[in-house]
Amino acid sequence: MIAQLSSELFKQRTTRSARILLASMIGVTVLVVCLHVFTLKTAELSSAANQPKVFGWGTTIGALFAALAGAISITAEFRHGTIRPTLLTNPHRARVIVAKATAAAIAGLVIGVLAAGMVAAIGSSGLALRGIPITLHAGDFTQMIAGGAAGAALWAILGTGLGTILRGQVGAVVGLCVWLLLIENILIGNVPSAGRYAPGASDGALAGLMPDAGSATLLTPIAGALLLVGYAAVCAAAGLAAIERRDID
Amino acid sequence: MIDGLTPTQPVIAVRDLTKRFGAVVAVDALSFTLEAGSITGFLGPNGAGKTTTLRLLLGLARPSSGEALVFGRPYRDLPNPTRRVGALLESGDFDPGRTGRNHLRALALASGIDACRVDELLELVELDRAAHRPAGSYSLGMRQRLGLAAALLGHPALLVLDEPANGLDAAGVHWLRGFLRQFAAGGGTVLVSSHLLAEVAQTVDHALIIERGRLVATVAVDQLPGSGALEQLYLELTGTDES
Repeated sequence: MIAQLSSELFKQRTTRSARILLASMIGVTVLVVCLHVFTLKTAELSSAANQPKVFGWGTTIGALFAALAGAISITAEFRHGTIRPTLLTNPHRARVIVAKATAAAIAGLVIGVLAAGMVAAIGSSGLALRGIPITLHAGDFTQMIAGGAAGAALWAILGTGLGTILRGQVGAVVGLCVWLLLIENILIGNVPSAGRYAPGASDGALAGLMPDAGSATLLTPIAGALLLVGYAAVCAAAGLAAIERRDID
Repeated sequence: MIDGLTPTQPVIAVRDLTKRFGAVVAVDALSFTLEAGSITGFLGPNGAGKTTTLRLLLGLARPSSGEALVFGRPYRDLPNPTRRVGALLESGDFDPGRTGRNHLRALALASGIDACRVDELLELVELDRAAHRPAGSYSLGMRQRLGLAAALLGHPALLVLDEPANGLDAAGVHWLRGFLRQFAAGGGTVLVSSHLLAEVAQTVDHALIIERGRLVATVAVDQLPGSGALEQLYLELTGTDES
């Protein structure tokens, strides 16, 4: 198990896609925060209800890229055929997937801290530059970074499970992007009473904020955390069942 | 079985192995055994069921019925299987963005094999100078040699190779033959599949000929009358000389 985990962590560090994913995440984070901080009107940005929505992008971006890292770690094996040598080396398929999910969760923690931390730093400096007082407190920032990191780790596990079920890289990547960037926002915007229970909104509750959602809409951090653990566990369990049952081409 | 009276256990024991994909029977009640220290060719035309049989043998697919045992057990029940079995199934099984050395290191880490074994093998398969390059930039022959290096990581006693000569040039095939002979001379066992008879005819001790998922002949090559005899037999049995 430890050997498999060290192998998975090594694989993560030695692919081109990992470097591309990290660079894209940093680029997207800078772009999204700058667009919000420098295009919105002063009145809009000063409101205590709007600032969490801007800072909330750290949560969504962290979750998205962590989930992509998890999904790509397994779909890349199917895509390039390395699943064969991987399973020949360790025929205990469940252990391989658990090791992958663990490696993804570790990467997810790093991604989550980086995304939330960058949004916090760029967002606050941008607001300070425009002379707009920041309505979030130190506690809010702490929850945003710690909760964002934990949420991203859980999303990485969810992504690994989803990738194991789907196998196809394009389907997994498109599915995760569409869900987190479109569907979640529509749900929380149009039917907040149901949308607050969705996995992205649960992550928002854990981090205390997300884009397009007032803090009043979100569940408590504990409820969000439990719900997100549940979603990650269901996806991981379905992935384990799928890899055990299916033949490898 | 009575202890002490049993002959040495076969390295591979396949019994009534059958695999269906819907209505298609890819492997049909196949049975054979392999003894240690020999090179066995697994021959048949494309689509005869060779690769499916090897996947069943290596635990990548589940048989519909029957069993395939390696060292007396299903592959998935072997503790630390890479220390006993080395396999090469497809030559392209690597991430194109990862270097050859890192591909081997990832596999070595998973089996708890030391990193110096990786460098030793890179030298053996003559990839040491290309080891720092992404594997996606390798030629077909280099990919095969990288796959062979991966199979050899754990000093296995059994090698299972699916079409290993594909993409190798004349010198590469010559090198592979020499390597397999040396491996078998050291007590190792080899099962090598091929649809190209000429590649393996000079190397194998035994030939298993399969056609449409069924075993049609088991041949001891040294008992054949002449060098063209295996080819003649193969063509008769597999019906590929009809056209």
